[in-house]
Amino acid sequence: MNDALENLLRNPRVWQGIQQAGGPEGLATAYPTGYASLDRHLPGGGWPRYALTEILLEHYGTGELKLLMPALARLSNADEIDPQSGGDREAGWIAWIAPPFQPYPPALLQWGINLQHMLIVHPRQDIEALWAAEQALSSGNCAAVLVWSDVLDEKTSRRLQLAAEKGQSWAIAFRPLKALLQSSAAALRIELTAGEQGTDVRILKSRGGRPVSVPDVIHNDAG
Amino acid sequence: MVPTDKLPAVRDAGRIPSVTESRRSLKSTAAAVKAHPAQQSLSLTPPPESSKVTLHAGRTRVRQLWLCIHLPRLPLEALNARGAAIAVFENQQGNPRVLLPDFKAERLGIKPGLSVNAALALVPKLELAERSPEKESRVLERLAAWAERFTSMVSIEAPDLLLLEIGGSLQLFGDIETLRQQIESGLAEQGFSPSAAIAPAALASVWLARAGRQVCIEDTKNLAGTLGPLPLYCLEWPESVRESLHGMGIYCIGDCLRLPRQGFARRFGAARLLQLDRALGRLPDPRKSYRAPERFCEEYELSEEQSDSELLLKVGRQLLSNLERFLTTRQLEVRHVQFSFFHLRSAATHLTVGCMQAGRTTEQWLELLAIRFERLALPEPVIAIRLRSGAGQALQAVAGTLFHANGRQSASITHLLERLSARMGDESVHGVTTVAEHRPHYAWSTAETTAETKGSRLPPCAAMQNHWHAHQSPLLLADIRRTNSLLLRRPLWMLPEPLPLATDESGKPTYTGPLKLVNGPERLETGWWDGHGIARDYFVAVNAKGVHLWIYRNRKRSRNKEATWYLHGIFG
Repeated sequence: MNDALENLLRNPRVWQGIQQAGGPEGLATAYPTGYASLDRHLPGGGWPRYALTEILLEHYGTGELKLLMPALARLSNADEIDPQSGGDREAGWIAWIAPPFQPYPPALLQWGINLQHMLIVHPRQDIEALWAAEQALSSGNCAAVLVWSDVLDEKTSRRLQLAAEKGQSWAIAFRPLKALLQSSAAALRIELTAGEQGTDVRILKSRGGRPVSVPDVIHNDAG
Repeated sequence: MVPTDKLPAVRDAGRIPSVTESRRSLKSTAAAVKAHPAQQSLSLTPPPESSKVTLHAGRTRVRQLWLCIHLPRLPLEALNARGAAIAVFENQQGNPRVLLPDFKAERLGIKPGLSVNAALALVPKLELAERSPEKESRVLERLAAWAERFTSMVSIEAPDLLLLEIGGSLQLFGDIETLRQQIESGLAEQGFSPSAAIAPAALASVWLARAGRQVCIEDTKNLAGTLGPLPLYCLEWPESVRESLHGMGIYCIGDCLRLPRQGFARRFGAARLLQLDRALGRLPDPRKSYRAPERFCEEYELSEEQSDSELLLKVGRQLLSNLERFLTTRQLEVRHVQFSFFHLRSAATHLTVGCMQAGRTTEQWLELLAIRFERLALPEPVIAIRLRSGAGQALQAVAGTLFHANGRQSASITHLLERLSARMGDESVHGVTTVAEHRPHYAWSTAETTAETKGSRLPPCAAMQNHWHAHQSPLLLADIRRTNSLLLRRPLWMLPEPLPLATDESGKPTYTGPLKLVNGPERLETGWWDGHGIARDYFVAVNAKGVHLWIYRNRKRSRNKEATWYLHGIFG
C-alpha cells in the first residue's frame, strides 16, 4: 500500500502544497512584489520563485508591467545571494520573448531596471516563442523570462514550469482572458482588471494559497 | 689550382636569386650577406667556410641547420585514396603513362613509366587517377602550416620538398634526433612517407633528401665529403647540362667540385657554380619563409552526391576540427564561418554561422551548424563542402576561477544568445539601451548583447543607477521622482510607429471610445539638426477600459488636414 502511495506522490501531475508554501523554505522561495497589499495574499509573501506565473488580462496596458517592475528591477540589479550555493550570484538577465509592443528603455530605467541585462527576442512564429522561452528558462542565466503567446496550453505550460525549475528561473506568461477556461500548470495565476482607482488583481490559483481578489494594487498615479 | 685573376662579371646575373628579394630571410643570413658582399661578383677563390656568423660584440648566433623533407610519393598521397590498387598517371609527350603506383599495384606488376593501356591490360581492376599539381601544392601548403609548430622558418621547395630551419628549435625540442623523430612520425600519422635529411646548408639538405640519403650533418666541414658521391640527378639541372657533364665523365657532385671553377662557370653558367658554393655552405642561401594564410579555407570533396544531413554534418565536423587546429596554431579566434555546399547542377548554397563570443570549440560550432542546418533547404544533393573562416582576431585568454563557476555563467549567456540567434536570425535577438535625446522615439536604441560589452560600458544614466544601488530595496517611483525632478512619466510600452487617432465631432481624440486627458501637456519640440524635427504636446489619456495611454497632438500644420492626434505609448 505504501508503494502505491509513493508512486502517486511521485507522479508529476500531483502537486503538493507543502513543497511550495509554509515554513521557512516557503518564505525563502518568493520574490517580494513591491506591492504590500498583494504580498499579503501571496504564499511566501511574493512571486513564486523558480515557477511559472500566468497573468491573464483583457487589454495590454492594464498595469501588467507595472506589477512586475519592482521585482524585475531587483532581479536585474541585485547581487542576490543564492540560497543553494550560498555564494554570490550574478545579476540575472531578463528575457522578453515576443512582446506585443516595444518595451521603452527610458521608462524601464525609471523603474530601475538594469538595461544591460535586458534581452529582447522577436520570434517569427508563435511556436518559436515557446521554444525560445524554454531555452531561456533552462539556460540558467535568465532570472526572469517574460513570454507573450497565444498558443500556450496545458502541455506547454507544464514544459515552461519544468524548464523554470531546471534553470532556476521565473517564467511569466501573459495570456488573454479566455485562457481562464483552460487548466494550467502554473504555480500562480492572476487576472488583472482596470478598476476605478487602479489595477485590481484577482488571484485565481495559487500553490499553497487561496483565491482572493485584491483591489487597487497599483494606484493609477504610479508609473 | 687556385686562380688569382680577377673574376669576370657575371653574365647571367638575372638568374641569380637576389638576396634583397626575399625580405623575410633570417636575420643571420642577412648579416651573412653583409659579411660576404661577393654575392654579385663571383669569386673564383672559394669563399671562406663559415660555420658561425659572428655578430657585433662577439655574440654568436645559433648556427643554421636545415631539415629537408622530401615526399617522393606525394602525387599518390595527395589523392588521399586508400584501399584498392591505384596508380597516378601523367601525360608524358602525349601518352598517358603511369607515374607512381601504390604498393598494391606495384605488387601486381605496375611500374612507373608503363603506358596506361598496358597497365590496364595487366591489372583490369586498377584505379587510375590523373596527377593533380594543384592538389599537391595544396597538400604541401597544409604540411608547411603544420610544420610551423616545429620552427618559425618553413620554406616550400616546389614540387615536393619542405625546408625547415631547425637550428633555432633544438633548445626547445632537446636534440636533433628527437625533433626528427617527431616530424617524421607526425608525417607518417597523416599518411605520408617522408625522407628527411639534415645539413647546415639548405641546398645540401635538399640534394641529400632528394637522393634519399637520410643523413644528419652538423658540421659544414663534412658537407663536401657527404655530397660528393651524390648522383647528378638530385641537382635537378636541365637534361642537356647533365648530358654534357656525363659526356665529360662526370657522374657525381664530387666530380663537379674537382673541376676548375673558371671553366665550370664559363661552360655551365655562373649560377650553377653559385649553387655548388651555397650547397657547401660557402655562400649564404636565404630562403623565403612560408606564411600560412590568415584565413582558413578548406574544401572537402565527397566521393558521390549526398543529401543525408547526418553525413554532411559529419563532414562539417571534420572541417571544423581542422579549423580549430588552424586557429589554435595561430592563436586566433573567429566569430563567423561560412559553409558552402556545392551542387552539380545548381549554384552553391552558402550558410554563414556566427557566434557572439569568438573562440568556440568544434562542438560548439557544430551545435550552431546543426540548428541552422535543420532549417536549410538544399536544392540538390551536395558534391563538395567548403569551410571558410571570417577575419581572425587575436585570441583572448580568459582566466577561469578555481572554486566557483562564476565564469561559466557569463559564458553560457552567450551560449543561449547564439542558439537563439542561430534559430531566429541575428536581428531577432537584441538588447536595449537609452540615448540622451529628448525626442521619445530617438531616446532608445537596440544594443548588441554580448558578454564582452557587459560591465565595460557605463550605464546610460549613471547617477540614477548609483542612486538605485544605494537603496537595496525596490523603490517606489515617487521616491525616484523626488530625487530627480527632471524625470517625467514615460510609458513602458511604446508603439513602433505613432498610430493616428480618430477624433469625434468636438475634435477630441478617441481610441475604443472617447479619451479623457488626465495629465499634460508636455511639450516636446525641435530636432532641426537631423531634419526630423517634432512639435508635439504629449498627454496622458485614459480610455473607457481604464487603460492609460500616452498620446500627442501634432502642432505642425498638416497640409491635407490629416489626423493631428496620435497614440504613441501605453502605460503597461
